[in-house]
Formats: sequence, structure tokens, C-alpha cells
Amino acid sequence: MNNHLKALRAERDWSQAVLAEHLGVSRQTVNALETGRYDPSLPLAFRIAKVFGQPIEAIFTE
Amino acid sequence: MTTAKRNILLGGLGAVVGLLAVSFLGGIVVGYLEASGVRIDLRASAFWIILLVAIAVMAGSLVIGALWMRSIDEAAREAHKAAWFWGGSGGMAAGGVLMILSALPGAETIALTPWLMGRTDPAAWMATGAFALMTLMLIGYGVVWAWWWLTRR
Repeated sequence: MNNHLKALRAERDWSQAVLAEHLGVSRQTVNALETGRYDPSLPLAFRIAKVFGQPIEAIFTE
Repeated sequence: MTTAKRNILLGGLGAVVGLLAVSFLGGIVVGYLEASGVRIDLRASAFWIILLVAIAVMAGSLVIGALWMRSIDEAAREAHKAAWFWGGSGGMAAGGVLMILSALPGAETIALTPWLMGRTDPAAWMATGAFALMTLMLIGYGVVWAWWWLTRR
């Protein structure tokens, strides 16, 4: 699964640590998500969507 | 490290120190009673004390493990789950090979070095087998856990 997390984070000029704090996860998890090597659970995907104010399908693509 | 994780580690450390202190005090009490002429079955006392300490240590480890799993995020949990399943199973499989080999004719001639205070009784060899299997499983756990994170950097 691909995602636009890195671009969305860059738009806000957030570091991985800042995004991690917003999501309540570790920086390593944000890194794993951004590189597409870890797919989030549905609850985390909803949290990500809420943090960026976008629908899940706009952030994650197949 | 988050406050929750720090509290769990400090709580675990405190429990270990507390257990050591209780064991130490128990030893002093038994020694005092023995010196005072009270007849104490030391073997039975040691059995019950060690049994209670072992149960407390293992139960405490499970509680700390549960608290730790609740304090980490989902990716870290996934890493532990993968490590437990693949690493633990891999270690168990390696131990299974050794176990099957030990049933072969001639295996009884293999000389093992006694490590448990020089003991060579069945209980000591049982402990050797359990310790060996646990070690293999823990090695597998550590390898898979590290692999999980390294491939997701």
C-alpha cells in the first residue's frame, strides 16, 4: 500500500517526531509508515486522516 | 522514553529489589530460628520459598510484559508478535531437531558438561534442556525482532 504521508508532513513542515506525537506513536513507526513498509491498522489510519483533515482514501492508495 | 515506559521499568526494578529483600529477610529469619534451636526442615523451607519466589518472578514478568505491550504503539507490538511467533517457533524448531537427535542410538555416549553446580541428576539435565530451549527461542526472538525493525527503516 502506498501513501502520501511524507508529502503531507512536509506541507506542514513537521518533523517525523512531531507527526509521531500527533498520532501517539513512535518516530520509528512514522518512518515505517512513510516508507510504505508498514501498513497501519484501521484505527491508526483514521487518526492519520483526522490529523491531516483528509479522507483515508486520499492518503492511502493501493 | 515515555513516562509510562519509565514507570514500568522502574516498577519492575523495584519489584526485583523488593523480592530480593524479602528473600534475604526470609533467609535471616530461617537462620535466626535455626540458631535459636527451633527445628526447621531446611529442604522443605527452601522448596516453598523458592517455589513462591519463582511464581512471583514469573507472574511479575507476565504483568510487566502486559503493561509494556500496552505502553508501546501498534508497530512495536507487531514487531514483538512477529518475533514471538517466528523467532520463538524457529528457536523451538531448532530445539526440536536436537531433541530428535537425542533419541538416536549412540546419543547416550555424548558427554555433556554439567553446568548446574556440577550436578548430573535427571532434574539437572531437565533444567539443561529447558534452559537450552529457552535460550534458542530467545535468540530467535531477538533476531526476528531486530530483522522486523531493520527492514522497516
